[in-house]
Amino acid sequence: MTAPISSFTPGVLAHSDAARVGFAPRCARFSLRARGDLAPLEAALGLSLPTRIGQRVTAGERQLLCLGPDEWVLHAPERDGAAITAACAGVYADHPHSLVDISGREVSFVIDGPRGAELLTLGCARDLDSIAVGEGRRTLFDGATVILWRDGDTSFRLDCWNSFATHLFHLLDTGVRELAAESL
Amino acid sequence: MLLIHCPYCNETLPEVEFAYASEAHIARPAKPSDVSDEDWAEFLFMRSNVKGPLYERWRHIHGCGRFFNAVRDTVTDKFLTTYKAGDPRPDLSSLTEGLK
Amino acid sequence: MSQYRVSGRGRVDTSRAVTFTFDGKSYRGVQGDTVASALLANGVHLMGRSFKYHRPRGAIAAGSEEPNALIGTRRGAGRFEPNTRATVQEIWDGLETSSQNKFPSLKFDVGAVNDAAYMLFSAGFYYKTFMWPRSFWDKVYEPFIRAAAGLGVSPTEEDPDHYASRNLHCDVLIVGAGPTGLAAARAAAVEGLRVVLVDENAEAGGTLLSEPQARIDGKPAWDWLAAELEALKALGVKVMTRTTAIAYYHQNLIGLVEKLTDHLPKLPADTPRERLWRVRAKQVVLAQGALEKPLVFHGNDRPGVMLAGSAQTFLNRYGVLVGKRPVILTSHDAAWYAAFDLQDAGAQVQAIVDTRADVDALLLNEARARGIAVKLSHTATATSGRLRVSSLRINPVAGGTVGSGQEIRCDAVLMSGGWTPSLHLFSHTKGSLTWDDDRTTFLPNNTPEDCVIAGASRGLWGIEAALADGAEKGRAVVEALGKTGAQVAYAVEADRPGTGVSHKELPTDLSAGKAKAFVDFQNDVTAKDLRLAVREGMRSIEHVKRYTTNGMATDQGKMSNINGLNIASDALGKKQPQVGLTTFRPPYTPTSFGAFAGYHRGEHFEVTRKTDIDSWAEAKNAVFEPVGQWRRARYFPKPGEDMDAAVRRECAATRASVGIFDASTLGKIEVVGPDAVEFMNRMYTNPWTKLAPGRCRYGLLLGDDGYIRDDGVIGRMSEDRFHVTTTTGGAARVLNMMEDYLQTEWPDLNVWLTSTTEQWSTVALNGPDAAKLLAPFVEGVELTEETFPHMSCVECTVAGMPARLFRVSFTGEIGFEVNVPAHLGRKLWETLWDAGQQYGITAYGTETMHVLRAEKGYIIVGQDTDGTVTPYDCGMGWAVGKKKPDFVGMRGLARPDLQAKNRKQLVGLLTEDGSKLEEGAQIVFDPKQAIPMTMVGHVTSSYDIGTTDQPIALALVAGGHEKMGETVYIPMPDRTIAAKITSTVFVDPDNTRLKI
Repeated sequence: MTAPISSFTPGVLAHSDAARVGFAPRCARFSLRARGDLAPLEAALGLSLPTRIGQRVTAGERQLLCLGPDEWVLHAPERDGAAITAACAGVYADHPHSLVDISGREVSFVIDGPRGAELLTLGCARDLDSIAVGEGRRTLFDGATVILWRDGDTSFRLDCWNSFATHLFHLLDTGVRELAAESL
Repeated sequence: MLLIHCPYCNETLPEVEFAYASEAHIARPAKPSDVSDEDWAEFLFMRSNVKGPLYERWRHIHGCGRFFNAVRDTVTDKFLTTYKAGDPRPDLSSLTEGLK
Repeated sequence: MSQYRVSGRGRVDTSRAVTFTFDGKSYRGVQGDTVASALLANGVHLMGRSFKYHRPRGAIAAGSEEPNALIGTRRGAGRFEPNTRATVQEIWDGLETSSQNKFPSLKFDVGAVNDAAYMLFSAGFYYKTFMWPRSFWDKVYEPFIRAAAGLGVSPTEEDPDHYASRNLHCDVLIVGAGPTGLAAARAAAVEGLRVVLVDENAEAGGTLLSEPQARIDGKPAWDWLAAELEALKALGVKVMTRTTAIAYYHQNLIGLVEKLTDHLPKLPADTPRERLWRVRAKQVVLAQGALEKPLVFHGNDRPGVMLAGSAQTFLNRYGVLVGKRPVILTSHDAAWYAAFDLQDAGAQVQAIVDTRADVDALLLNEARARGIAVKLSHTATATSGRLRVSSLRINPVAGGTVGSGQEIRCDAVLMSGGWTPSLHLFSHTKGSLTWDDDRTTFLPNNTPEDCVIAGASRGLWGIEAALADGAEKGRAVVEALGKTGAQVAYAVEADRPGTGVSHKELPTDLSAGKAKAFVDFQNDVTAKDLRLAVREGMRSIEHVKRYTTNGMATDQGKMSNINGLNIASDALGKKQPQVGLTTFRPPYTPTSFGAFAGYHRGEHFEVTRKTDIDSWAEAKNAVFEPVGQWRRARYFPKPGEDMDAAVRRECAATRASVGIFDASTLGKIEVVGPDAVEFMNRMYTNPWTKLAPGRCRYGLLLGDDGYIRDDGVIGRMSEDRFHVTTTTGGAARVLNMMEDYLQTEWPDLNVWLTSTTEQWSTVALNGPDAAKLLAPFVEGVELTEETFPHMSCVECTVAGMPARLFRVSFTGEIGFEVNVPAHLGRKLWETLWDAGQQYGITAYGTETMHVLRAEKGYIIVGQDTDGTVTPYDCGMGWAVGKKKPDFVGMRGLARPDLQAKNRKQLVGLLTEDGSKLEEGAQIVFDPKQAIPMTMVGHVTSSYDIGTTDQPIALALVAGGHEKMGETVYIPMPDRTIAAKITSTVFVDPDNTRLKI
């Protein structure tokens, strides 16, 4: 029997000498879509909206990643969610956009350890070297659409939809042990 | 597995991130109700099915999500170029030139 | 020491004995042996029986190209594998191996009667023999073929090993770690490139392992090799051994299979047996070397007849003499060195028999000086010996005439027909080949990939040539990657490049029909078979291949292709390039299913998506079914209940009081923006402009062809925001379709789509007590007919959780769908479950959901529709907006075919005898008509009794809407069932039960 992903508590889920997989605390997550003049939204959110896909900005505890030409994902502390919704609603009439709460849709795994980047090669076909530290991308991991945030040379966050989480974790967990068993 | 250049991400990425979306430059009539049965059938069902360079659409479905256009050689499977939706068709002769 | 082990030779560790079994008998080998080398060290040549004739066979080669010595290996419980090449499997203490294709024993085999019936089993045998009589097929031919076919025996137990896969990106991938590959790796590595060097063997070195006499840059080959490997590793080269490049795909994607545990006596924890690497390389260097060709003569398959180069490998790499009295049979210089090496190791070489008249004087002098008899211009016409060769019959050839024969006693025949460059991966790239008359072989020409091929793979023989070409091609690759490579030269002493000629079958004095001169050892194809195929009309090499099965065995003709081509082109009277070469296809060597499956087996064969409530259902012993990638609770049986009983109970309880259902898997899409309503008008058949915020509506989605694609309830949460639901299986498809129209046809619309399927857990409550149960938990709206009528939606709080509440019904009862953030799903469910006990709340699954909706005539897209059904066919014309200028499918619906009379229309069916129909059963109007009957439709949904008096069914029937009350017939194998056409609504046609 597999426990539902909602029963996972933040902290380390699997670790070895090679890599570690953690479960990130819940946070407020939004999908933001907008075109044209982004300044009013930037003012409302208190951060700039990068326009190159993969680029990230951080303002305080808010983190934002450009996923597409008119698409961003925004992470913020849970308590900040209502303020973000209100701020965007405040500029909607003059600057129409789409802000959709996806806090319940996804969870994040934190992947690090000396061979953290290699762990991701078990499921990710793209060259991870092309994601610079401090950037992120939406991609495919073991058949599921995920967002990878590269926080360091070997540390990543992986966002996935709830229902894929246990399947993906199974592979990550296998990989953590498999990498450790390898003699290099 | 092919590599595909996404004109929106400006990156060349594995095919698994993409989905095929049929032939390109087949515009849906602006007022379908004004279109004859023959023309509507043409729009719905008829495709060029060429051997060689084909204009087609792909979607970077597991990446930026955008539909874009491509020219791909149906003989070699290889992409000759990709370009953003709405951009004009590239000239085929200039694309196939480089192959020879 | 074993009888045939030569001390001081080989790379094996003779101080470490290893004991393994072959056919139950225990043998001793040493650390570093393969099964083949260890058996040969014990004087055992007989390792298997052939596929078709069950002829005794031994190892003919020393590597992965081996066609004969296929064995079963057992590595402990459950770990049995057939068809492992004895020349590849390394031994360890306790390894169990067995021979194949024998009964009752390897030494005495009943199936060898096939060998005596050789004449019957010639080319095209299967095509000719099993044609008639037809009645023989089931009883005689098929059982015979099944018993005879196949190599080895399939494993019967589930494989307990685990398999892995990984992606790897590099600048340069080099396939083959012989001298060519090593030099190329060095060239790339010194430029700081990411280099991966792979080799299928247990250790890197390639031909250097078999040629210790060579000196490179003044060092003995093995010392040079060790130092070079250290240097490459220091430069960051990833050197992977026991790793086979099995396939070359588009744009430099190469599949590698790394074998990690088959050579280990103890399985290390957490280590997969094999790992499939998907390597994407900017540049590839193919340095796979060349394979030695056998000579084709009568009896060339007898155990003890083997490739001369392989004999050298067994000696120099494994310290094993394959025979003490070998005779050499060759058309190439290389085998002469085998004679010298074996003599140096103590063998008494009986003779060197060369088909050529002229041989390099240096070789002749050396042979003479060593006292080895030399026979030039000779052919071989036979071998003898029952289970092992005991003599070779040779005949002089003068002016095309075969003279009288002479027997040479021997215990091994070491043959060499020259070398074939290994072009397999190059061919995978769709690379073109050129015929080279001098070498009598195909050489690589152009490839569309970013790939170079170097060394013996392109016909360059000898270590020095290999090193030079590897360095040169390595430099080319470096420069292609924008770096400046350096020129490097290697000095090699005691090199053995050599030349030779290539043959069709050797000339013989035997009558043509009698000779069993094998070309393809694994498939038992002889030269005679190939000639017969040509005589019987095969002209293309592809036809000859299929007719004779030459090159179609698991070794894919590594040894047989060129010999086969030489013979076929001779028979056709054409040059080889006019006859052409068959295509090599992946994988290069046989590959386990496990390697391809990787991590995806058992429960993880594919993603199983589960809702937050799934764990509750599991705890309640629900029976699940897959719906797309989701697993959904199908029903919740109580002890002793079967599905029908459980479903009947769940249906009754839902109509009587309240049922609770997990609807979380329904697709959900948030449509937001000023043009949201315009977008909805264009996408869905229904009009949306007048739908007020807080209300919802059933939406029908068509394709532009006018056929139903999807459906779902859609709520307008605010002026510019819609909460769209889709079918469970259609969620991703519908979103993709919407994005397609939005991005491609209507980019001007200011609206955005976001998948919210997984944002919400959705709990559906249905039944007369649903409102009573739910109301106490809801803050923000009163659940009355006036304040929250059927088809309302609202954002509110339910049990303290933020919620989107819908009043909808897919059962015909009062219904609510409560959406809460996904991770709160189970909490909400349990809250309602506990509170619902006072009403006798019943959890139901998808099966009950299906029955309850069918009783109300609600369709399920994809079950009651099949991609050719319009809204009108389903009696849902009411959902089509008549006044809209356009929507997807509107023009399609106006197509003449879709307006035609007598289309198949959805109706209800009630059988006359009260039986349940089969879903998918065909329907006819006249059961007495002649077969084939005119079929007028089929049953789309059929259920045993839910809350109706008898089983019900939905069906598509031609002109069905005009045939209410008429009888149709459903012919079944055992009887014909009569059924009456009814309305699709079986329960509460006036919808009175929807009211609170």
